Amino acid sequence: MDRATIELLARRAGLDKALAEFPEDLAAAAEQASGSVARMKAPTDPRAEPWPPMRAGGRL
Amino acid sequence: MSDLHWLTAAEAARAIAAREFSPVELLTALLERIGRLDPKLHVFIRLDGDAAMDAARAAEAEIMSGRLRGPLHGVPVGIKDIIDVAGLPTTCHSKILVDNIATADAVCVSRLRGAGAIVVGKLSTHEFAIGGPSFDLPWPPARNPWNTNHHPGGSSSGAGAGVAAGLFPLALGSDTGGSVRNPASACGIVGLKPTYGLVSRRGVFPLSFTLDHVGPLTRTVADNALLLDVIAGHDPLDPGSAAAPAGHFAARLERGMRGLRIGFIRHFHETDLPADPEVAAALENVASTLQGLGAEIRDIRLPTLSEFGAVNRVILQSEAWAIHGPWLRERPGDYGQLARRRLMAGAFMSAGDYVQASRRRLEMIATVEDALRDVDVLLCASAMDPPSRIDDAAETERTYPRQARTPFNVTGHPALAMMAGISSGGLPLSVQFVGRYFGEAALFRVAHEWELAAVTDQKHPPVM
Repeated sequence: MDRATIELLARRAGLDKALAEFPEDLAAAAEQASGSVARMKAPTDPRAEPWPPMRAGGRL
Repeated sequence: MSDLHWLTAAEAARAIAAREFSPVELLTALLERIGRLDPKLHVFIRLDGDAAMDAARAAEAEIMSGRLRGPLHGVPVGIKDIIDVAGLPTTCHSKILVDNIATADAVCVSRLRGAGAIVVGKLSTHEFAIGGPSFDLPWPPARNPWNTNHHPGGSSSGAGAGVAAGLFPLALGSDTGGSVRNPASACGIVGLKPTYGLVSRRGVFPLSFTLDHVGPLTRTVADNALLLDVIAGHDPLDPGSAAAPAGHFAARLERGMRGLRIGFIRHFHETDLPADPEVAAALENVASTLQGLGAEIRDIRLPTLSEFGAVNRVILQSEAWAIHGPWLRERPGDYGQLARRRLMAGAFMSAGDYVQASRRRLEMIATVEDALRDVDVLLCASAMDPPSRIDDAAETERTYPRQARTPFNVTGHPALAMMAGISSGGLPLSVQFVGRYFGEAALFRVAHEWELAAVTDQKHPPVM
């Protein structure tokens, strides 16, 4: 993730203060996130449901 | 009686009920030991010795009058400092919550008190159960009693170090990516992540709602079963609580291995994350020992640790961001660096990432369920390395993710870690057993057989 994208996403998340005080930590956080997402295999079956499931219950 | 500190909880409870010694004598011995060793181990964030002594005197009076409150009457227990104990701070080892006083006991603590246990204090953790070991927090990190230059594992660090050092026989920790089983592995004790939903999370500060579990840390398998008996059970006010009945685990320990089928997940430590040779040899020794006792060993394949870890991280960090976002926006400097980095990662994940991880999670659950149709219990690595030096940040960063615990937070299956041997460097090596949903009894059965064969319950840190 490039620096401009990190700044954009950090500001959108309201992390302006962290961006000013801890820019290296934000860069490390962004790298962790993109690494985890890249290693994950998305289901190929479009009908694959998530867990925990949506359940129809007797009450909310 | 000498060496009260090495008594198991079951032995202590039996002796107290038989009036061989009193809860006051036991607590006095442990407080003396805590006073001597805790300055080196940093197990406690808050020692509550006076209140514990008041509770011990009350227990003594009750027992002398013939009233036995429960199976842990008069037995001391330590509580990880993300779990509420009424009247004490729940700091989560963080400056963020340094003044946060709990107004009520967590359900698991309330159940412990109902069984007669005595809370001795609140225990060190990685910050918010995710950031550690850290030296930039209000309290120092706990250290490993086998060698205080080494990390005791985490995030339930004080729980693992304190039980292993004989400061208390029982502790409660929490496990979102392995945080009960990691300190159990590093400190050579027994740590269980129960089936998701078996133990109430109400009153426990959340890290990740769908991955969090409360679990027991003990020196013996029997004590682990005893503690689980006390804390397990449905809680209608915890939305993640299971309706399944909890189960009398301590009473069902003494059964052999004949006919039991064990699936050995070798690829975790052979190819996914190649383990230290001593760890690999210890795992083979556990498998061959159990086979010699009558178990059938089969090879099992699951998705890779890399993929399990990625799904765990995406879910964990997305859910944690929802909890910590407001503080990270306003008070980022009040977190230690490790927690700040790990918790801010959620800000860089999308809703789509989270949903994809949750969908992949269901496929992974199905894969593990399929494997458990053909075998009764799974055997695999817990940690791939002996515990690292605590002052070597680079080595800790390298070895911390080299583990096989997160898969079973993703799937919610029960998983128990315990000692598999001792390294040439004098540090504990570990093994992990995994069971079917609500199949903790089978886990305890296998773990108990291994404990009897390897006498792991008699191996204590040498300097203690």
